Amino acid sequence: LPPPFKPIPCKPILFDLALNHLIFPSLDDKVQSKRQATTSTDKGQQQQAGLTG
Amino acid sequence: MTTEKQEKIDEQIRPLYAELQKYGQTQDWDRALKTTRKILGISSNEKKATHCKIVCLMQLDKFDEALNTIVKNAIDTADLFFERAYCEYRLNRIEDAYNTLKSIDRELNEREQELLAQVLFKLEKYNECVGYYRSLLKNNQDEYQSTRHANFIAALATWKLTDSSSKIQMESN
Repeated sequence: LPPPFKPIPCKPILFDLALNHLIFPSLDDKVQSKRQATTSTDKGQQQQAGLTG
Repeated sequence: MTTEKQEKIDEQIRPLYAELQKYGQTQDWDRALKTTRKILGISSNEKKATHCKIVCLMQLDKFDEALNTIVKNAIDTADLFFERAYCEYRLNRIEDAYNTLKSIDRELNEREQELLAQVLFKLEKYNECVGYYRSLLKNNQDEYQSTRHANFIAALATWKLTDSSSKIQMESN
């Protein structure tokens, strides 16, 4: 005859929270070109000149 | 390489990076992975594209391939401690993951601490694990706090179970 069943503790589940932190690095510097950055400031200066001049 | 040539390459890959950024935001990892391959096909030493490629592979559950990419590009990926350790963790190389995180010679950031807590649980170092969860719970306000609390209780309960003689403080703070 098998021995009677008895409850035993089980190892609790651990949730994986680290995966939520897996994201791309910032690509802003790669998307915006140096030239674009400078032309946009040029434009700003031109507009300013247009306003004042 | 001349700067002119480099500029030409930059001009070529800029729209690809814009595409990559978009796919990253929409979590379209398959398409993003293809884009990283396009970028690396034009210029193999693009550090950010390599980083993104590794993230894509990991999101697609290809941890073996991701870790290979890290090992093959050792110089460009030297600072990707979290990605490397997470790959090792998922490949059940828990000791490696532990050593990778322990090799960081600055204070661990939040995600590295989160991963280390999970690694410590697998290594059955519940004492240390509970310590990390205490500090993570204290210093966090994000949407995962309740899940984090469940993890804290899991670590605490297992610790108590395996070491019933030790006096364990049960509160989270």
